[in-house]
Amino acid sequence: MSTPIIQVAGLDKSFGRTMALDGVELTVDRGEIVVLLGLSGSGKSTLLRHLDGLERPTSGSVRVLGEEVPSLSGRRLRRLRSRVGFVFQQFELVPSLTVLENVLTGALAGLRGPRLGLWSYRRAQRLAALGHLDRVGLLDRAYQRADTLSGGQQQRVAIARALMQEPEILLADEPVASLDPESSEQVMALIREIAADAGLTVVCSLHQVDLALGWGDRIVGLRHGRVVLDTATEGLGKAEVMEIYGRVATATSELEAIERELAATSAATEASPGLRDADADADADPALADEGAR
Amino acid sequence: MTALAPAAAPKLESIAARAPRRRASPERIAAGLTIVALVAASVWALVDIDVSIAGIVDSWGNAERFFERVGTITFPEPAELVSLTALTLGLVLTGTLLAAVISVPVAYLAAGNTTPGPAWRAIGRFITVLTRAVPDIVLAMAFALMFTLGSLPGILAIGIHSVGMIAKLFADAIEQIDEGPRLAVRAAGGSKLQEFTSGILPQVLPSWIATVLHRFDINLRHSVVLGYVGVAGLGLEMSHAFKSLNYSLGIGIAIVMFVLCVVMEIVSSLIRRAMLGAQPTGRGLGDRFVRRVTSARPRTRSTVADASADAPAKVGAASPADLQAVLRRPWDGTRIRNVAWLWGAAAVIVAGVAVCDIHWADLVTVWAKVPAVAVQFWPPSFGSYDWATMSAALTETIAVALAATLLSFVFSLVIGSFAARNVAPNGGIRSGARLLLVGIRGVPEVILAILLIVITGLGSQAGMIALAFGGVGLLGKLIADSFEEVARGPERALVATGATRLQVYASATFPQGVPALIGHGFYLIDTNLRAATVLGIVGGGGIGYYLLNAGQGSNYDVVTSIVLMILVVQLVFEGLAVWMRRVFR
Ligand SMILES: Nc1ncnc2c1ncn2[C@@H]1O[C@H](COP(=O)(O)OP(=O)(O)OP(=O)(O)O)[C@@H](O)[C@H]1O
Ligand SMILES: [Mg+2]
Repeated sequence: MSTPIIQVAGLDKSFGRTMALDGVELTVDRGEIVVLLGLSGSGKSTLLRHLDGLERPTSGSVRVLGEEVPSLSGRRLRRLRSRVGFVFQQFELVPSLTVLENVLTGALAGLRGPRLGLWSYRRAQRLAALGHLDRVGLLDRAYQRADTLSGGQQQRVAIARALMQEPEILLADEPVASLDPESSEQVMALIREIAADAGLTVVCSLHQVDLALGWGDRIVGLRHGRVVLDTATEGLGKAEVMEIYGRVATATSELEAIERELAATSAATEASPGLRDADADADADPALADEGAR
Repeated sequence: MTALAPAAAPKLESIAARAPRRRASPERIAAGLTIVALVAASVWALVDIDVSIAGIVDSWGNAERFFERVGTITFPEPAELVSLTALTLGLVLTGTLLAAVISVPVAYLAAGNTTPGPAWRAIGRFITVLTRAVPDIVLAMAFALMFTLGSLPGILAIGIHSVGMIAKLFADAIEQIDEGPRLAVRAAGGSKLQEFTSGILPQVLPSWIATVLHRFDINLRHSVVLGYVGVAGLGLEMSHAFKSLNYSLGIGIAIVMFVLCVVMEIVSSLIRRAMLGAQPTGRGLGDRFVRRVTSARPRTRSTVADASADAPAKVGAASPADLQAVLRRPWDGTRIRNVAWLWGAAAVIVAGVAVCDIHWADLVTVWAKVPAVAVQFWPPSFGSYDWATMSAALTETIAVALAATLLSFVFSLVIGSFAARNVAPNGGIRSGARLLLVGIRGVPEVILAILLIVITGLGSQAGMIALAFGGVGLLGKLIADSFEEVARGPERALVATGATRLQVYASATFPQGVPALIGHGFYLIDTNLRAATVLGIVGGGGIGYYLLNAGQGSNYDVVTSIVLMILVVQLVFEGLAVWMRRVFR
């Protein structure tokens, strides 16, 4: 196996007294589709932001695309960021600019100097941007103001903006948390399709277990800033999926609940091979444990 | 899975063919073209006024020659200086207080939550607009005709003209109150007047006092111009000195006036702090100074602690004698301070009115003269001037206003951007830029204009530069505040793509700030149109020169036409501003 595209080791991050990340270990291989799963405040956003150099670790190492991110600054940091696309929960488009110009801003890192207005971008770039808009199904909206689009459409524009960077990694922070179920479905499917087309590595945070199970190749669970779960979804048998699903669909929908249940299963089946980087308080990864038992 | 685009990548050229044509609404295009035309006109004005580096270097030579000719700067005799300063301050104070008193009922009518009805509200609004529209200089000219010479023309001119701004801000404050206390007074059976005094007044008083003090500063700066039309005080002495070519005295008085304005801004900040019992939060020069000076010694409030330290007494056990004792409010620190302030303020007001030496009888006899004076102002005419002269003069005034706005805009955009937290590369640069803006705002630009015009011997150039300078203080702050208010998300998103600081500014911060920039630009044009008129009065050319001439030559019908011309121009720009705000929201 080639060297991992993302390698996080012993990552701590504190904001004053709050420990947002606590000894996080995470390794992602090229082409993997990983879901970060966790409740509000569990540190998903903070972890993603570290991967793009938007946050500096209190301690620990963050290697992305072969670079030690915290040690980068200035032009080298911007170069790394341009190779990593980031999709935000609130889309973060410039409301007063057209859809097309918003997409074009994704190309800024490859350009010198400030740009304002469509015609400050080269024709080839405008064409490429139109292509990405077509890819997300919004070619006909190219010249509308961004704030005249629906939430789902805006998020697709944001994805097109990320594609404009020609990224190798796509980070998405709860990309569908402010969308209705139908738009969510569309956006999540789109991310997968695009990832498959372009061979992208994706790390996407979510808080809905059902969505995560059906969508990711691998699930990494966070709680109180610690990794408490790290399992491939593929290895899960239908029964286990149903069980996790059922657990999560109950009133609390707490990751804790799944954990306890899964821990119990694993204790019954003792061995837990392939357990990776899991925190001590989630002392087993039952999905893998089940696999081992089979 | 979804009905999105086909997976196979189509040829880019064919995508371009399928892309919709860009369609901008005709109104937006028209608005955009209007802005382009305005900018072009401003550039043309700037070129026409001929502000070049060479010109500025030349004017430096002029200034040197000027000082050689004038020799040293002289000041009035100390005793005279004191009495002139007192008279100026007293006049401005009395005028501002008069405006404040008139503004209370006007604001009551104009505020949406206190007005007796829509018609009353319209009347209130109309009064605020009208009093602001008629220049105080013209009011002073008219009143000078009605009153035997004295301070009343100046006081009334300041008092009436200031109602426009004070009543508007008073009404805004009334509209922002918490309705609860007012409702409580009503529920307890209070009258309308009691509702106002017990429910509304306590809430709006701090803001009202701040407004009046702010207007006092503006009126003091402006009083120097009133001197040119005969209003007594430092301004009148200065204009006499310049007219009799006694430049060294004229400059001396202008410098005194300059210092007086800066000192009074600091004093009014101190008063605001003392009356409101809190650190001033403003960003003015005075506010900053006060914060610096007063933050060193924190005040301790002992009264609260004393009260809470008392052991809880038995409820309902107080004898009538005990109650009698409590009836007298103890002379604690707060009470002493409050009473001292009250008496101090009363003393200053009485003194201010007293130094004005008002001929009160005039207020009774004046009414007989009103019809005769009104006839002199109406109907408007151009007198001995022709339309071409007047329109050329008006054009020059507009040109000065536009050129000054353009210059201010360019500099404010740079300084204002660096003064915005989300644009400045670091805190030091931001503080530096903010401080620079505060310093610029502290300079009374009318007096700066007078000094520049006299010293450099240049008319509209010097005036325009003074206006542009003053404009940076105002516009730079507005721009900085607007940039700080834009949504941060898009900026973060662009940082995440690897864009540079400058790229993030151009693509995320600036586009979000454009509507505000346009609004502030038009606001500055409005301010500068008034100021450019005033410049003409102090020797900067343009329509103001004819306004002063007409007034001094008793051609009051010409004064009326000029005021109407300026009013029309202002209405046109006001209309443009409203339209722009709608198009570029
Ligand atoms: N800039 C910051 N300053 C202070 N505390 C912060 C900051 N950013 C995050 N935190 C804290 O770090 C912890 C993790 O926050 P984070 O935003 O990463 O959680 P999250 O899992 O993304 O939550 P959500 O699902 O609500 O987005 C929280 O306790 C949060 O309050
Ligand atoms: Mg988050």
